[in-house]
Amino acid sequence: MTTMVLEPREFRLLDGLRLNPRKSFSGRVRGERLTKKKGISIEFADYRDYAEGDDLRHLDWNVLARLDTPIMKTYRDEEDLAVHLLVDGSASMEFGEPTKLEGAKRIAAALAYLGLNGGDAVYPRVLGRREPPQAALRGRASYPRLASWLGGIPSDGQSGLAKTLREFVASSVRAGIVVLLSDGLDPDVIGAIKSVGGRGHELLFLQILSDIELDPDLEGDLRLLDAEAGSPVEITVNSYALKEYRRRLQEHNGAIVDAVRRIGGRHALVRPDQSLDSLLKTVLKKGGWVA
Amino acid sequence: MTFQNPGALLYFLPLGGVVILLYLLRMRRRDVRVPATFLWPERTDEVRANALFQKLRFSWLLILQLLALSLAVVAFAKPQTKQRGLAGEVTVLVIDTSASMSATDVKPSRFANAKKQAEEAIRSAGASDRIALIEAGPTPRVLFPLSSDPSKQLRALDGLKPTDAEADVGDALRLAAALVGSIDGARIVLLSDGVFDKVTNFSRGKAALVYRSIGDSDENLAISALGTAETPTGRQLYCAIKNESLKPIDGTLSLYADGKVIDSVKVPAVTPRGQWGRTISAPASAKVFEAKLDAPDILKSDNYAVSLTSAGASQHVLIVGKGDIFLERALALEPRVVLDRSANLPADTSPYDIVVFDGVEEQPVASRGVLTLGTAGPATPVTTDGSVKSPQFVSAENQALMKGVDLKGVFIDHAEKVKPRANGVVQALGDNGPLIVTSSSPTKRQVYLSFEPLQSDFPLQIAFPIFVSNVLDFLAGEADSSLLSVKTGVPFSQPTTAPATLKTPAGDTLSIKPVANTLIVRETRQIGKYELTVGGKTKSVYSTLRSDTESDLKPQKDLSLGGGEVRASTSPSRFADFWRPLCMLCLFVLGGEWWLFARRS
Repeated sequence: MTTMVLEPREFRLLDGLRLNPRKSFSGRVRGERLTKKKGISIEFADYRDYAEGDDLRHLDWNVLARLDTPIMKTYRDEEDLAVHLLVDGSASMEFGEPTKLEGAKRIAAALAYLGLNGGDAVYPRVLGRREPPQAALRGRASYPRLASWLGGIPSDGQSGLAKTLREFVASSVRAGIVVLLSDGLDPDVIGAIKSVGGRGHELLFLQILSDIELDPDLEGDLRLLDAEAGSPVEITVNSYALKEYRRRLQEHNGAIVDAVRRIGGRHALVRPDQSLDSLLKTVLKKGGWVA
Repeated sequence: MTFQNPGALLYFLPLGGVVILLYLLRMRRRDVRVPATFLWPERTDEVRANALFQKLRFSWLLILQLLALSLAVVAFAKPQTKQRGLAGEVTVLVIDTSASMSATDVKPSRFANAKKQAEEAIRSAGASDRIALIEAGPTPRVLFPLSSDPSKQLRALDGLKPTDAEADVGDALRLAAALVGSIDGARIVLLSDGVFDKVTNFSRGKAALVYRSIGDSDENLAISALGTAETPTGRQLYCAIKNESLKPIDGTLSLYADGKVIDSVKVPAVTPRGQWGRTISAPASAKVFEAKLDAPDILKSDNYAVSLTSAGASQHVLIVGKGDIFLERALALEPRVVLDRSANLPADTSPYDIVVFDGVEEQPVASRGVLTLGTAGPATPVTTDGSVKSPQFVSAENQALMKGVDLKGVFIDHAEKVKPRANGVVQALGDNGPLIVTSSSPTKRQVYLSFEPLQSDFPLQIAFPIFVSNVLDFLAGEADSSLLSVKTGVPFSQPTTAPATLKTPAGDTLSIKPVANTLIVRETRQIGKYELTVGGKTKSVYSTLRSDTESDLKPQKDLSLGGGEVRASTSPSRFADFWRPLCMLCLFVLGGEWWLFARRS
């Protein structure tokens, strides 16, 4: 039986909201998103001189009567928006209570629902493992398929976040919103984020970190084993080591935020146990991620 | 640098090996899986180990531990350096302040030279060296106990003055041995010219004895005798001068009677080790005769002598009897008394000024004073009428003899029951008759005590020595007790309850308080005339040296001390240990190692 990931109450919170990109993207099928392309819709875009063969239905008769000059009204076209839903499925996402992957799935479900509800094309993708790209999902009716897909994401990805993110960028996908749900714990993630911006995507990075990363409860002589491919670290964890760790984490997160802003994206740090109410209120609505 | 225990250095190899081996042990670490390791610093500050083995890595803890170990091992090997100097780790400086040390053959004087050497020893001593100062004077005294305080030691040394007296160097050395004789490596340094009596009954214990001989000459002319003699032609004053050196010395001798010059004569060059004498007629009424010698010698202290002809100034006392330690002690307190004791009365008693019959029946004697204790005789100013048990004191006359003497409460086991003769004067009365009776005539004075002191607790009373002193004054004639001749540096005492003042020859005035009703005067350390004022009564005290030992100024290079020969040394060497600073440094390094350990763990 397929779970819906979200509670019915949470669906009601999401109804009426849509993703609010800063950029405009051209779509493949007619949708509900205004594009830069001039087309036929009721959304006025601009004026231009009449050219032979133009549809006279869009001639501005009022201007012609006043100025005796034929002027054509143009309208913005309405197309669908590509929403690339990237969920980090690497091994590091299995930490936390609830796990960061569980938190990522809930947030991904909410954002995908907004996209599907708004008529956007949602392209779900798992980072950290090699799997064929999913077909675009459109319409609210596609939500069960998305939920099923989310439920099937394992947390045993062995490929690095940065590597698979670069592979996504290199896969010539449509430019659109890239919703990245990850902990960002990859030393090369900064370069990968910059490459996302280089392909014209608008990045919405929800960095999910649990207490294990933010306030680690470690002490003594330890051998730290990396959940992914990192080399083991022998360490005597004391106040000085913890202080150094926090400094490095802060520096790493600061570099991520800086990289995201440089490519015109948005970043927010959330916890895996953060409720959807709180997320909507403090991040998505407050930051203008949804409207 | 040498090591007292060089074998200890070998301990470094096994101990250092153990320390390094501990660092070869590997820490068994607990595996913990974390989301990412790239954020964690590589801090493998291992302070514990519980598994074998690992490659030796650089560690400040290892470096500090090896440094502390090496310091401890070197300290345990007791490193030392050889240094020259008087002071060792524990040193007692014994400084001779006798009259001979005032000799000026070494400029400015032997004493000043000794002080200078002591000062150099104190200044050159190490910070941990302990030094004590002892004055070898007439009465040895510790100027400064063992300590490491050079400033206080120098202040104490600065206050040390030479005397015109004989020194008891033996006692001073015994005092030094008592201070440091049980300490290994201690050193007793005697700064002296060796001019003192042979020292016996001295053991230096574990301490080493270093003798620094001071002085290089013996040129000295001394007054060896001054006195008067009653002859058929009248009183004669004689004076003898002795040349203690191996070189003829001349001079000028001046003789004084009661402060007035009666003779001044050029002394011809006195042959080496020879004597020269002069006898002149002396004024019969004079009581104080002084001799002053002006000679080109190196010691002035023995160029002055005094002779008193007053009867009270010197009293030769004979005790006839079984012996009474309390009585002898009370008489010994009197500086004017020369005491003899005999079980039986000698045939000729004319040499004695006073004869004491202690429990022996009084017999007629030629002496001018007689003290009878307990057993009256035919010449006693009382007649006996048996004996009484436990007589009680009733009253005393307000006479000089009873001044300061309180017999109230004195327990007397038994006494003679007597009646005074016609010439007898009752001084103290008991419930069964007189207890003390005196008689006086122009040629003889007598004091009779109706009980033997040992048959009572009178000798245990404070009043007893005062009574004895009063008896001596009475028998000598009170008018004659204002003159006294003492030997320099020899303390004398006087029974009194009143404080006294002493005016020195230099004009200084000292206050002296009596202790247990006895005034003890120790300040007559210089030759000359002192004035002792007690209770408004002034006594002239003449202090003279007159010592053959001190006048023979030849510095001694070898001394016989306690049965062993001690040779004068130039500059003794010492081994200065410096393991203590190494230990301190080791503790400091261990402290740093602990701090580093605590900071990292």
